[in-house]
Amino acid sequence: MEPAAFDVREFARTAQGSLRDDLDLTRYAAAPLRGDVVRVLDALAVLEGATMAHLRNVLVTPTHKDARVTAFLVTWAYEKFWIADALRAIVAANGGAPRGWSGAASDAGTHRRAASAGRGPVRRALAGFAQGWPVIGVHMTVGLVDDWMLRAAYERVARASANDALDAVLRRILDVKERHTRFFQEEASRRLAASPKAAGLARRELARTVWPLGSTVLGRDDRDDLVRFVFGGSEGDVLAARLERDIADLPGLDRRAAASVLRGLAGGPAA
Amino acid sequence: MAFDIDRYTATSVSVHWDDLDLEDFRDHPLLAGALRTLRYMADVEYHTVCYTRDLLTTPSHREADVSAFMTMWNREEFWHGEALAAVLAMHDITVDYDALKASRLKLGWKDRLDPIKQSVLGSLVGSDFVAVHMTWGAANEWSAITAYQRMAELEEHPVLAELLRRIAKQEARHVAFYTSQARDRLAASTKAQKITRFALSRFWAPVGSSINSTDDVRHVMTHLMSGPEGRRAARKVDDSISGMPGLDGLTIVQDALDGLGIPA
Ligand SMILES: [Fe+2]
Ligand SMILES: [Fe+2]
Repeated sequence: MEPAAFDVREFARTAQGSLRDDLDLTRYAAAPLRGDVVRVLDALAVLEGATMAHLRNVLVTPTHKDARVTAFLVTWAYEKFWIADALRAIVAANGGAPRGWSGAASDAGTHRRAASAGRGPVRRALAGFAQGWPVIGVHMTVGLVDDWMLRAAYERVARASANDALDAVLRRILDVKERHTRFFQEEASRRLAASPKAAGLARRELARTVWPLGSTVLGRDDRDDLVRFVFGGSEGDVLAARLERDIADLPGLDRRAAASVLRGLAGGPAA
Repeated sequence: MAFDIDRYTATSVSVHWDDLDLEDFRDHPLLAGALRTLRYMADVEYHTVCYTRDLLTTPSHREADVSAFMTMWNREEFWHGEALAAVLAMHDITVDYDALKASRLKLGWKDRLDPIKQSVLGSLVGSDFVAVHMTWGAANEWSAITAYQRMAELEEHPVLAELLRRIAKQEARHVAFYTSQARDRLAASTKAQKITRFALSRFWAPVGSSINSTDDVRHVMTHLMSGPEGRRAARKVDDSISGMPGLDGLTIVQDALDGLGIPA
């Protein structure tokens, strides 16, 4: 396998915490966001905040044995926590009632079933045995594709809202996420290139994942609205084409694998 | 006693030591026995994130609060590992990710089956099982505080003592979270009390037992918890645990020491 260049210790040391001090929330009073933008930000907050459910799914498999990957995920979850926090604050400042937080009505059982995306920890752990080490490459690929999707979402939100205060925050968020993408990309590339088994498993996983990660918690309608907002229309077509190209360019993946992700995005859970 | 999760997340920081003179360990190094204990502690801290999967495989109300806590908790524990690794590095002992990976590989099948077992048990007894996890977490965090305090007393090394004091201060907030969660759930259900009593007295073992050899566990327990002072510290942890609703009379730490043959 290619040696890893990403410095996990440096990443952990320079983690971005709360963004609250830089949100400039008062500016929304004079220039409030559109309702559909607020709803998308609310959905993005739920997705960014869904890290612990994802960690659970990932850590029941051999991925938990890789101390470098788990060290990355600890800081990744921390940074995403504060991204979600910033998004909720913006939603609230624009008259919305952010979901997925203390006091939000949520039946634990339903939430848990939704977070497992149809495959609970037992099934994932059993599958993890059979998949062995290559499953780490699969998890890195899934993380990468999810990052690409959310980047597209932030870009679309920025263009649709044309709001200076929001623009500044979205730029900060994309900066924070850039390092996540870089780690996932490096790990996915070197692991997929080194193992045909990893690439095969990744193709299967990409086709059956409910995109974006954590979106089962949103409910079908909100998820569909989000996907339409990001990937609808001619601007959305451009972003979808970029996503498709990026996936197809990964070692061991191809246009078919990329197309399966887009099909999943368009139609909800892929069969 | 409610735990203020927003306050906790807003004030959670990585433990810092850049103002401490670690070079002092070059002139006043720790002895081999202490370094072995420290290495064990670092392993346990780095390994914390792996427990996330156990906790989350079981149903839990107020998922958002638990998720928020776990996010910060994982990171604080990771940095405890880094801090201890910095001390070890002053003694030319390197703890890198590859070495940690190697020690996780040694765990084998027992560890691989854990999440499955936990989850099946969890769905069998439902939300009462969360009480077990939370009480278990509290017992581990009390143990951690006690271990760091004992280590500081025994070594009488001012730089080490200050670093361990800072770590233990964060462990105290972890205790506060776990006990507030455990207390509520135990108080609300006698079934939860019974299951928790059963699980703790039957399965609890000192923190790190599942990721270290019995030799290492025995070394650490003898180093920190033997003799009258060690036993006194163990009793204190047991008193805290048995003070929870429905857990009176439990002596899991002292029992574990007896089981390992640690001299009192
Ligand atoms: Fe700790
Ligand atoms: Fe702790």
